[in-house]
Amino acid sequence: MQLAPVDYLILALYFAFVLGIGWVVKRQVKTTDDFLTSGHSLPTWITSLAFLAANLGAQEVIGMCASGAKYGIMTAHFYWIGAVPAMVFVGVFMMPFYYGSRARSVPEYLKLRFDEKTRGLNAITFAIMTVFSSGISMYALGRLFELVLGRSFTESVILSAAIVLAYTYLGGLTSAIYNEVLQFFLIVLGFAPLAIAATMKAGGWAGIQSRLQPVMTHSWSYLGDAKQNPMGVEAFGLFAGLGFVLSFGYWCTDFLVIQRALAANSMSAARRTPLIAAFPKMVMPFIVIIPGIAALALTQTAGSGYELPMKNGSYDYDLALTTLMAKFYPSGLLGVGLTALMASFMSGMAGNVTAFNTVFTFDIYQSYIRKNAPDSHYLKVARVTTVVGIVLSIGTAYLARSFNDIMDFLQLVFGFVNAPLFGTFLLGMFWKRTTGHGAFSGLLSGTVAAALTYGLSVAEGKGGWFGNLHDFPSAMAQNFWIAIFAWTTCVFVTVLVSLLTKPKADSELRGLVYGLTEMPREEVAWYKRPVPLAIIVGIALVILNLLFW
Amino acid sequence: MGDLRKPSGIFFVILGVILTAYSFTGVRAPLSDYDLNLYTGLVMLGFGGTLLWLAQRPS
Repeated sequence: MQLAPVDYLILALYFAFVLGIGWVVKRQVKTTDDFLTSGHSLPTWITSLAFLAANLGAQEVIGMCASGAKYGIMTAHFYWIGAVPAMVFVGVFMMPFYYGSRARSVPEYLKLRFDEKTRGLNAITFAIMTVFSSGISMYALGRLFELVLGRSFTESVILSAAIVLAYTYLGGLTSAIYNEVLQFFLIVLGFAPLAIAATMKAGGWAGIQSRLQPVMTHSWSYLGDAKQNPMGVEAFGLFAGLGFVLSFGYWCTDFLVIQRALAANSMSAARRTPLIAAFPKMVMPFIVIIPGIAALALTQTAGSGYELPMKNGSYDYDLALTTLMAKFYPSGLLGVGLTALMASFMSGMAGNVTAFNTVFTFDIYQSYIRKNAPDSHYLKVARVTTVVGIVLSIGTAYLARSFNDIMDFLQLVFGFVNAPLFGTFLLGMFWKRTTGHGAFSGLLSGTVAAALTYGLSVAEGKGGWFGNLHDFPSAMAQNFWIAIFAWTTCVFVTVLVSLLTKPKADSELRGLVYGLTEMPREEVAWYKRPVPLAIIVGIALVILNLLFW
Repeated sequence: MGDLRKPSGIFFVILGVILTAYSFTGVRAPLSDYDLNLYTGLVMLGFGGTLLWLAQRPS
């Protein structure tokens, strides 16, 4: 792929704006709260788009386009079933406890609701996961720019790390969130033309349908049997694994996204944040998945001029997006597309780094290392942690480069941790009898159950550490079932241990548990209230699924 | 903490101007049947202009 001077100009313009935003926001950052929580001052439209953009990282844009080419429109379930219902749930039911408790982080909520050891366990695992996630974003960016543009891996990693460091160090969470919004606009406007051009070239949706097998253009029709679809999953596994455990585990408990909602300027705005974000989330498949499906349709059309690249005798789906850009984007728009790609990597990195510095400063440093220091001290620690987080991420990027399997392994670990965590939150928020000992042992046993399920099953040659009791038709099906077993074990053990241990008094649980907390009265217009918004989201979701049934 | 619509609006207006102006060089992509630089540039100009207009309105 050859870049023209105009493409470099666009890239430079974007970097200038990103750094400029950090510089302007810096003047308004005076306290630790300003730096790490945005002083709970941001309007809903900003927190909503940031809620979405923080998740638009490395895997999202390139990975979803690749999955579109590999699995077809079924990939949209990662958005429709695998995100939207969880976003509605967190907005309507969970945000009153997160925001109402005034917890500054998810681990801090666990401390208030349960005890110190549960907070410590979550804070440490989350901090490690965010550093690795950020590093993997850097690794993916470095590899992509090495492959596509012929730039050196180190050059790409250092440049992106330096820019993310500059604007997060200067303006903290507000700067990261503002840039995430800019990045979101850029990603949408930068990739929508590709989706339109590739689809039109393939003859529109009708043309794509005529060129591909029906399973690639229907989202539900082939889910009756795992053998009927390329994902190798059946409706129950999809619903329970992806639609319930994995999706709720991520959108309802991962501090990376919850932090964006907590930055909102009121409880009402915090509740609306995930609900409003659900609207663009529903249409994102048209921007990131449809190009992949169009790429496959064009590949299967003789004389179209486009073919998916091959690797080891099969299609290299990961290159679908970049090869489409090379064929459909002229100089100028190519610069916009690459800048959008860079933006998606950087928003993933910055989101992880800002979540890391908040959890480290509040839940590790302030809790275990130095309590009761002046605010200026914690602000300094937060800034230093930002630098440390970036340096550790660079180290992780090189680690990922050295070990081929590290990315798969880490994705697995995220599943091990997030799936049981949702069980802990569900019980903690909605059953006042849940105890700290129950939550801690449930979290640990859920993670062990996930490891055992992986160790005793095999899919696509992966797993089977301790033996092989079951063969899954795909790694995706294996991941869904690992999540189901982990969550079920966590819930079972938490309930059992809670019943055997002493619960907290009701007076200690007010504002933290359903039934002991007065739900906030919404003094806003009906269309801004969570329940009507949730109903509108639900109707739109049903319509989309019916259209692509 | 400042109105994000202003810098975002300015960014997309500049980007729109660059793409629209560049479209007059006649550069086309191998498989594109349309002048994507022109159309995307105009959309970005409109989007950036809308953000700036929204930022100017009294709240």
